[in-house]
Amino acid sequence: MRFIVPAVLLAALVTSAGAAPRAAPRSRAARAALPRIVPIDARGIQALAARPGARVTLVNVWATWCIPCRREFPGLLRVARARSAHGLRLVLVSSDFPEQWPAARRFLAAHGVSGTSWVKNESDMPFIDALDRRWTGALPATFVYDGAGHLAAFWEGVREEAVIAAAVDSVLSRSPEEEHP
Amino acid sequence: MKALHVPVALALGVLASAAAAQVNPQTLPSEGPLAIGSPIPLADTHMKSVDGHDVSIGSVAGKKGTLVLFVCNHCPWVRMWQDRFARIGNDAVKRGIGVIAVNSNDPEVFPGDAYGPMKGKAKSWGVKFPYVMDERSDVGRAFGATHTPEAFLFGADGKLVYHGAVDDNAHDANAVEHAWLRDAVDAVADGKAVPVAETKAMGCGIKLRAKTSSGT
Repeated sequence: MRFIVPAVLLAALVTSAGAAPRAAPRSRAARAALPRIVPIDARGIQALAARPGARVTLVNVWATWCIPCRREFPGLLRVARARSAHGLRLVLVSSDFPEQWPAARRFLAAHGVSGTSWVKNESDMPFIDALDRRWTGALPATFVYDGAGHLAAFWEGVREEAVIAAAVDSVLSRSPEEEHP
Repeated sequence: MKALHVPVALALGVLASAAAAQVNPQTLPSEGPLAIGSPIPLADTHMKSVDGHDVSIGSVAGKKGTLVLFVCNHCPWVRMWQDRFARIGNDAVKRGIGVIAVNSNDPEVFPGDAYGPMKGKAKSWGVKFPYVMDERSDVGRAFGATHTPEAFLFGADGKLVYHGAVDDNAHDANAVEHAWLRDAVDAVADGKAVPVAETKAMGCGIKLRAKTSSGT
């Protein structure tokens, strides 16, 4: 048995996720520690997925005002957290409007997400179609890329934690030869 | 033999998670949204309007066309677009296009989308067309509607000519570059071809009620 990617490298690459929601920080210092959100478009997401260092990239497009997104979030984070040492890169992309960005950062912090997160900065239609033409625009939307940045699975709407885990694990169980034929 | 690339624990997790769910991660509604050129599905299905009357899509159809808007009460995207779809719909009615707004969401999932709050919503929107409850979600299912707001516009011959978003900027009505639904309604009212037949925008996923044996 061998590990493809050292865990220490992955730790630097994967967005970290805490165990449970906690109160959002309110002080100036605490606010400064909120996760950064960086604008990104569809091409940027695909470039991230193709970047070396991960064996699977799990992309979730969500919004603070999307009730199903909020319901799905904890399970999604548990899946990511449990596999971060095995090569999972998590890319959370908020589709909130600018006035909701502070709320998005607080939401991420409350769920133990630290480091960098992302926010969509492209018009809906080109963003949607570039990521997958099957996507109708409904949120949440989730994309699973293999280590080479090829899309392995996509779905829109909420999925149970076990379904997300199975989709991710089916990519993690592939050999490098399968990803780079 | 190929080398193993994941720890045993993870491999076991694969088996466990696969066993826990019938996995088809590429899942989308199997039939997808209604295709351009399709006739109006379930046109005779009666749905309760906010004024208490039963209304079908067929009963509101206009001589020049029919606009079916899938909306709901709770969705922030609907709120962003409400003034625009209300104005477009009200204008369409004046121009001979029948309009109906349909709520297919399961209120068990979204309590705010129950029939009661629909009355206040319709009043606040100022719509001059019926807002109805698709109480088994059969109409939403038949259309392949996935999110709100989502528009389906049929021409005078009853065939779908436009499917998609209200316009390209939910956030700022003053920054709209493409008023897709307005342009499509104007074209149908004038008896012309719609300029863009299919568009997309983000919205709230519709949670349909479970399909029943007596449903479609």
